[in-house]
Amino acid sequence: MMKKLVTLSSIALLAAAGLTACDTGGGGAQSAAVSTLSSGAAVSGEITFWHAYSAGGGEIKALENTVIPNFEKLHPGVKVKAMQIPDKDMHQKLVTAAAGQSLPDVVRADIVTVPELAKIGVLTPLSEAMPDFQSWADKMFPGPLATNKYNGKSWGLPLDTNTKVVIYNDEALKANGVASVPKTLDELKAAADKVGGKYILAEGGSGAWQMLPYIWSNGGDMTDPDVKKSSGYLNGPKAVAALQMIVDLYNKKAIPGVILGGSGGTPTGDGLPKGMYPTIVDGPWTFPNMATSYPNFHPQTSPMFSGAGGSISVVGGEDIVMTQQSKNKELSAEFIRYMLSPDAQKAMGQVGQLSAEKDMAETMAAIQPYYGAFLEQLKTAKPRPATPQWAKVDDIFTKQAQLALQGKLSAQEAMDAAVAQIDPLLAQG
Amino acid sequence: MPSQDVLPEQAVSTPSAARPRKPGRGGASRRPSHWWVPWAFAAPGLILFLLTTGYPLVRSLQISFYNWSVLPTQASTFIGLDNYIRALGDPQFWTSVVNAGVYLLMSVPATVALGLFFAILLQKKMPGRTLFRVLFYIPVVTSWVVVSLLFKFLFTTDNGAVNWFITDFFSFSDHAVPWLEQRWTGLIAISLLGIWKNLGWCLVVLLASLGGVGEELYEAAALDGANAWHKFVHVTLPGIRGTLLFVLVLQVIGAFNVFPSVLLMTNGGPAGSTEVPLTYMYKQAFSFLDFGYGSAMSFILAIFIFIVSFAQFKFLGEKKETLR
Repeated sequence: MMKKLVTLSSIALLAAAGLTACDTGGGGAQSAAVSTLSSGAAVSGEITFWHAYSAGGGEIKALENTVIPNFEKLHPGVKVKAMQIPDKDMHQKLVTAAAGQSLPDVVRADIVTVPELAKIGVLTPLSEAMPDFQSWADKMFPGPLATNKYNGKSWGLPLDTNTKVVIYNDEALKANGVASVPKTLDELKAAADKVGGKYILAEGGSGAWQMLPYIWSNGGDMTDPDVKKSSGYLNGPKAVAALQMIVDLYNKKAIPGVILGGSGGTPTGDGLPKGMYPTIVDGPWTFPNMATSYPNFHPQTSPMFSGAGGSISVVGGEDIVMTQQSKNKELSAEFIRYMLSPDAQKAMGQVGQLSAEKDMAETMAAIQPYYGAFLEQLKTAKPRPATPQWAKVDDIFTKQAQLALQGKLSAQEAMDAAVAQIDPLLAQG
Repeated sequence: MPSQDVLPEQAVSTPSAARPRKPGRGGASRRPSHWWVPWAFAAPGLILFLLTTGYPLVRSLQISFYNWSVLPTQASTFIGLDNYIRALGDPQFWTSVVNAGVYLLMSVPATVALGLFFAILLQKKMPGRTLFRVLFYIPVVTSWVVVSLLFKFLFTTDNGAVNWFITDFFSFSDHAVPWLEQRWTGLIAISLLGIWKNLGWCLVVLLASLGGVGEELYEAAALDGANAWHKFVHVTLPGIRGTLLFVLVLQVIGAFNVFPSVLLMTNGGPAGSTEVPLTYMYKQAFSFLDFGYGSAMSFILAIFIFIVSFAQFKFLGEKKETLR
């Protein structure tokens, strides 16, 4: 009976395989013409908006109780359905939705995913669809704006921007015998020697997001300016030395094990207020979260540890993009315009979202005193290399950095192996 | 109308057997022209099966031969067995298979042995028996996500409960063990979760089977002067052999398919050292959009599981017939 069942099912399988094999191939690359949308036209209907705003610091409350109701008030009869997708699931969710043709109309997408989404053809190029695109682009800081470019077009607009600075717990520093927060990479090393076996700094992972500020500040880089190759850059002496410094600090137990992936240790945003970690390198979103969880803690900021390359941090943030599949592109465009308006930017600014618009800088600095440090850092902060292959590139880098941290490879060997895998990917474009 | 003694599943697996069988005891209701009746009964389940399991299975087999593009509107290129060849030469894939094997060896024997031990214990009449059975079964019905996060907190390096026991309570060591930040301790933590979560299921299935071992066999053994150990080895074990095999095979298949606990506790890290086949496949497909490669790996794994299961039936199940 078992045998028969197996035979039967394998026949069914083969038959079905033969049937479905016919519909493969598809109709060639997507070539939908982009129709120009009007601006200021009356809009109606309903759109969906996916985002990864966090529930902790009041971001979702501001979006759902202030921003969207105000937009709906401005355009009676219009409905925006907002859906929160956890940050780490967003990429996968977008990909499956793209494959299943069930994408939302508008997405708040992490800046590093925009070139990839553009490449697989799920986005509407705003530079062609929105007649007023240039006037919006002109408002933006060039760094965040550049993250939307792929193949000569701009696929989105910066919704918010951020960078990371050194955030420290003064009491914890003093308790460990460090008089003032380290300003340079050398001072950081010296402080680590001084505290001997105690934590001086915590990083929540070993990806490019965490490591690039050290590499850049030390004068190294990940790729050439055109993002065509990484050999000679990521495995160059300055990048390797920066990584080696982190590895040394980890071996001296000056950096906790949470750097190896963040699943087994105390998260940086908890360890700092608790006094476990005297310094962390983190972004503005962490302030509302810490204020909620640790109301008695007063975090202080300092610029990214400087080195031969200066004090260079990494640009993060989100872009707002419109999908190809959107059935109501007029309304989607109008919603994008509203999300970039001073009203919405201010409302989101109050809950930790830093505007990427130049003329909002003063308003932002007035909202929160701690924004000043980030706005200052943003002047020199760099974006991660923009490539549709970013997910793979970052995975390779992370893995090799972890092998170095574990002592399985030297920093030089690890980065040599990384560039050997990354270069063929960059060549694919 | 259908005769009542034909069960749909029997009918599906042996459709032609319905006709030449002995005339039903019920009389003349079974006529040859009604060959479609069992199919009609099976149809709802069969259709559902084909839609939810059959079609995706065939589709992913097809995808595994392609350099698959995510969007249905974009062209995918047929690359034959390239994805399979690539997987067989991918050291990370083999690491993930080895890790699944390590997980299997660490968790399955312990789960089945403990399941049997507690099943025998809970078979005896004793106060609170039902309560214990429920307690053992609670982890089985609890979501994998919830228990994975729970175990992640238990094994947290800095202030997890496990390290508290090691450093403060028993003072085995001064240093906290970085459980989830290295390969072997990570696999141990994941295996402990596997044992804890699956124990209840083994226990319930074995408990049901133990109830089926004839009391007269124990009495006969007692007359022959058998002690408790002899009874266990010569009566209980042979009596539940079929069920034990069933439990073992399903646990082995389950071990190869370990997924949420790894994803949530270590996410395959650090440096891919705790990756298992499903987390690696998931990454290839959903992080890197390499669906063809992910599918190919899933079929290699399926073949692997099929061989292992087949071997288990072959080598462990040979005496099954006589003891049923």
